[in-house]
Amino acid sequence: MINLRRTFLRQLSAAAAVPLAILGLGADHVRAATRQAGGQPRKRVLRSSRLAPPIGPFSQGIRTGNTVYVAGLTGIDVNTGKIVTGGIVPETRQALENIKALLAEAGGTLDDAVSSVVHMTDLSEFQQMNQVYAEYFPTAPPGRTTVQVSAIPAGARVEITVVAVVA
Amino acid sequence: MTDDAHMELGDPTLATRASTTGQASVGQKTVLKTPDAAAPIGPYSQGIKVGNLIFVAGEKGVDVRTGKVVSGGIGAETRQTLENVKAILEQGGATLDDAVAATVHMTDLGEFESMNEVFAEYFRKDPPGRTTVQVTALPGGARVEITVIAVASV
Repeated sequence: MINLRRTFLRQLSAAAAVPLAILGLGADHVRAATRQAGGQPRKRVLRSSRLAPPIGPFSQGIRTGNTVYVAGLTGIDVNTGKIVTGGIVPETRQALENIKALLAEAGGTLDDAVSSVVHMTDLSEFQQMNQVYAEYFPTAPPGRTTVQVSAIPAGARVEITVVAVVA
Repeated sequence: MTDDAHMELGDPTLATRASTTGQASVGQKTVLKTPDAAAPIGPYSQGIKVGNLIFVAGEKGVDVRTGKVVSGGIGAETRQTLENVKAILEQGGATLDDAVAATVHMTDLGEFESMNEVFAEYFRKDPPGRTTVQVTALPGGARVEITVIAVASV
């Protein structure tokens, strides 16, 4: 019975979509389609002057709806444009500061992170990375995947990619 | 058990059977399948659409006609890879402009700039957030594998 009702609801929503599809083919409608309810753009590029510019053809982060996809960020210091010196601890700290600055552009904080991927060049530095990481995610830390890779652009030791859901 | 009951459980045999029609829905997921991109080389889907989110599998520079990674190095491979991503996104009603996140796995970061040149051709405006790392090997002997998440308009 539940399945029947579900099927009915699916058909109902499919039927409702048909007239919208017929109407929604003009350029204005295409433009409208790139916006979500409430007038927010479907895909908004996030930029922070507190971060070094991207080192390739990518954005620092994208917001779509309440979800923020942050680019993989490394411990680049915006003042020098280079990876901070001092090893895994300062690099992890700087990478997370960069992520924090980017999330702030979307009105979010690190507390909003739901998923994270940590790429490291040396997993023997795992515990040191964790110590800094824990400082930045004191409560309800995101789910996380950590792997060792053979190299990271610009000679970084760590690159962290975060997905967040902001209010 | 009805088919719907199988769908509730995410029965993989149902997904496989239905996917021969091009798109199959299992629960909230729609499996994207296109002959214009390389067939999966393992038990995974080319792409999954849920709501207006599309998760494209890690694509490589496999030419759908030969089933092999194209020759010619990183430029040619990156181009073919992004053509495959594009075909899968189109199957889900999206384009590369809809990409919000990308992960680039490479076997040699010495080729970073060459990859970037082709990547920039395909993502001219508002490119996705991106993560790039070097790994020790990729399936099929590929030099690059790119994973994209996109948000379609419908």
